[in-house]
Amino acid sequence: MSEILLTTTVGSFGKPDYLQKARNANARGKLSDAELLDLEKQATEEWIRRQEQIDLDILVDGEMYRGDMVAYFAEKLEGFKIGGLVRSYGNRYYHKPVIASKVSRPKPMTVDWFNYTQSLTDRPVKGMLTGPYTMLDWSYNEAYKTRRDAALALAEVVRQEAEDLERAGAKYIQIDEPAIHARPEELDIAIEAMGVVTQNLKAKTISHICYGDFAAIYPKVLKLPVDQLDLAMHNYEYRWLELFDKDPFTKELAIGVVDVHSHRLETVDEAAEGIRKGLKYVSADRLLPHPDCGLKTRTVEESLDKCRIVVEAAKKVRAEVGRTAVA
Amino acid sequence: MKTTIVGAYPKISDEHQDLRRALHKLDRGELDEAGIAGVLDDTTAWAIGEIESAGVDVINDGQVRWDDLLAPFARAWRNTERGPLERFYDNNTYFRQPVISGAIESDGQTLVADYRKAKALAKRELKAAIAGPLTFATLTAEDKHYKTLEARTLAVADALAAELRGLKAAGATLVDVEEPALSAHPELVDLARAAFERLAKAGVQLALYPYFFPNTNLIQALGSFPVAQVGLDVRSRESSHKAIDRLDAVKQTVVLGVVDARNTRVETAREIGELVDAALKKVGADRLWLSTTTGTEYLPHDVAVKKLHALTDAARVTGGVR
Repeated sequence: MSEILLTTTVGSFGKPDYLQKARNANARGKLSDAELLDLEKQATEEWIRRQEQIDLDILVDGEMYRGDMVAYFAEKLEGFKIGGLVRSYGNRYYHKPVIASKVSRPKPMTVDWFNYTQSLTDRPVKGMLTGPYTMLDWSYNEAYKTRRDAALALAEVVRQEAEDLERAGAKYIQIDEPAIHARPEELDIAIEAMGVVTQNLKAKTISHICYGDFAAIYPKVLKLPVDQLDLAMHNYEYRWLELFDKDPFTKELAIGVVDVHSHRLETVDEAAEGIRKGLKYVSADRLLPHPDCGLKTRTVEESLDKCRIVVEAAKKVRAEVGRTAVA
Repeated sequence: MKTTIVGAYPKISDEHQDLRRALHKLDRGELDEAGIAGVLDDTTAWAIGEIESAGVDVINDGQVRWDDLLAPFARAWRNTERGPLERFYDNNTYFRQPVISGAIESDGQTLVADYRKAKALAKRELKAAIAGPLTFATLTAEDKHYKTLEARTLAVADALAAELRGLKAAGATLVDVEEPALSAHPELVDLARAAFERLAKAGVQLALYPYFFPNTNLIQALGSFPVAQVGLDVRSRESSHKAIDRLDAVKQTVVLGVVDARNTRVETAREIGELVDAALKKVGADRLWLSTTTGTEYLPHDVAVKKLHALTDAARVTGGVR
């Protein structure tokens, strides 16, 4: 693995056509769960091989078995019910979960997938979870009197899952909070809830934040008890970096250097320039280039191309800073 | 007390997914512009029919053609276009941020054809809607023309005033101005008021909706806006009801947002009744309407329908006119 500018991704990749069709067939009752699982494993292995081939350093399972990052967990937790379709943007809809009663975790939700994926590769695979505040914010809360009560209840089940992932061998555990800036006045709740999740973890902890007013929660978000913040930067023309002039960034930074919502493929030079911008604020051993967000809205080929640009850009900048990748 | 609805209505239900399928076909090149226009018309008729069936007194067209609050304007105006994707305030809903490349120009016809179609379908009083000028200006991703937020906001207001004149000529008598930026940025209230002064010159009655965020501290200032109605969310947050204590500062008709359009728990008649009773101590019944807190598109369709019935049922119990 490279020792500086480790490359990674945020979590999801485009699903191959055969898997999309299989998921649709399964939803219509035309394909069994076992048959779908086989195809999800096949697609996961294909993504592991692709990540290895393009030389990403820290891998993900690509979330071939997930639709939405909150609904996946809501379907497995007790206390949730799955609501009707709600539009997210354009012609995209999702089933927004409802917290209908007190939440609990009957059994681990992602550990089998982590074990399977890690068994396919010698490179580290991240354990991937959705944070308690985002779980709350992207659900309807009918069960808890206050949003803090709901967030802390969700934090408890996410803590159980994170600790199970660590016991399974996860060296990196990512607990995504893309909704953390939705209500800046509730940042204390998000920080308190994340504290519950990470309190006993020894693994490297990461939280992905994207699409919102990061300035509204900075620098207080540095109190979020994780080791690494994973930020969409390219889409914002790196303007969040300017915040670090006044209040220095104190964590590891996973920096988004390609846009995930555009068909346009960035150049290596463009992505490399993004990495160089990050290096002005964070040292190379604490800076991790990646795409701005999950790539599930892109095709397999687009996902791959975007990741390849990230890796090539990282190699280029590594050479500039005088240290080569160490296998 | 009349009941009304704000913003966009769900575009699909579990059973009614014509628009979703048609847009996929459009993407694949299997449907042409005339084909999608027909589906949009049908979906508008479906939405209006549902809103009317729920018993809402003053309806809108459900904003079926609006990709997001800013899209109709960013798409239609000269020197504006739709840019990067961004989260829409504290929702898990996304919109395209406007990009401004020159002086904004509007022919005032952006919404007129849709309004006329809806008018022909509506059996009840129909209102129109526009985006708020401060919302459009503050959510702009890139502005290559205007030097300041003030200049941009006022230019947007002028373009929106042209839209209001177009709507008025088409027969609109009441237009909602959806202005979440005002509750998000209460420090910009003076700029917002200046923009609304320009909107008011169009000569059509306006209803101001600063939804999403607490507006208790804004209420005093809202009383001086040149609008006929002020819509206030008194339901969606743990502290929202506190706004009722300050309603005596509002001189306009108050549209009380008593049904939370961002949570699925359906309000009981008693819960709504308590809010209405408290409001009636501050505002006469002749100046009080009831509504959802914001657009019902944030809800699944089945819940949106239940919420509208909760609204109209509560209005009936508390003295609404049918």
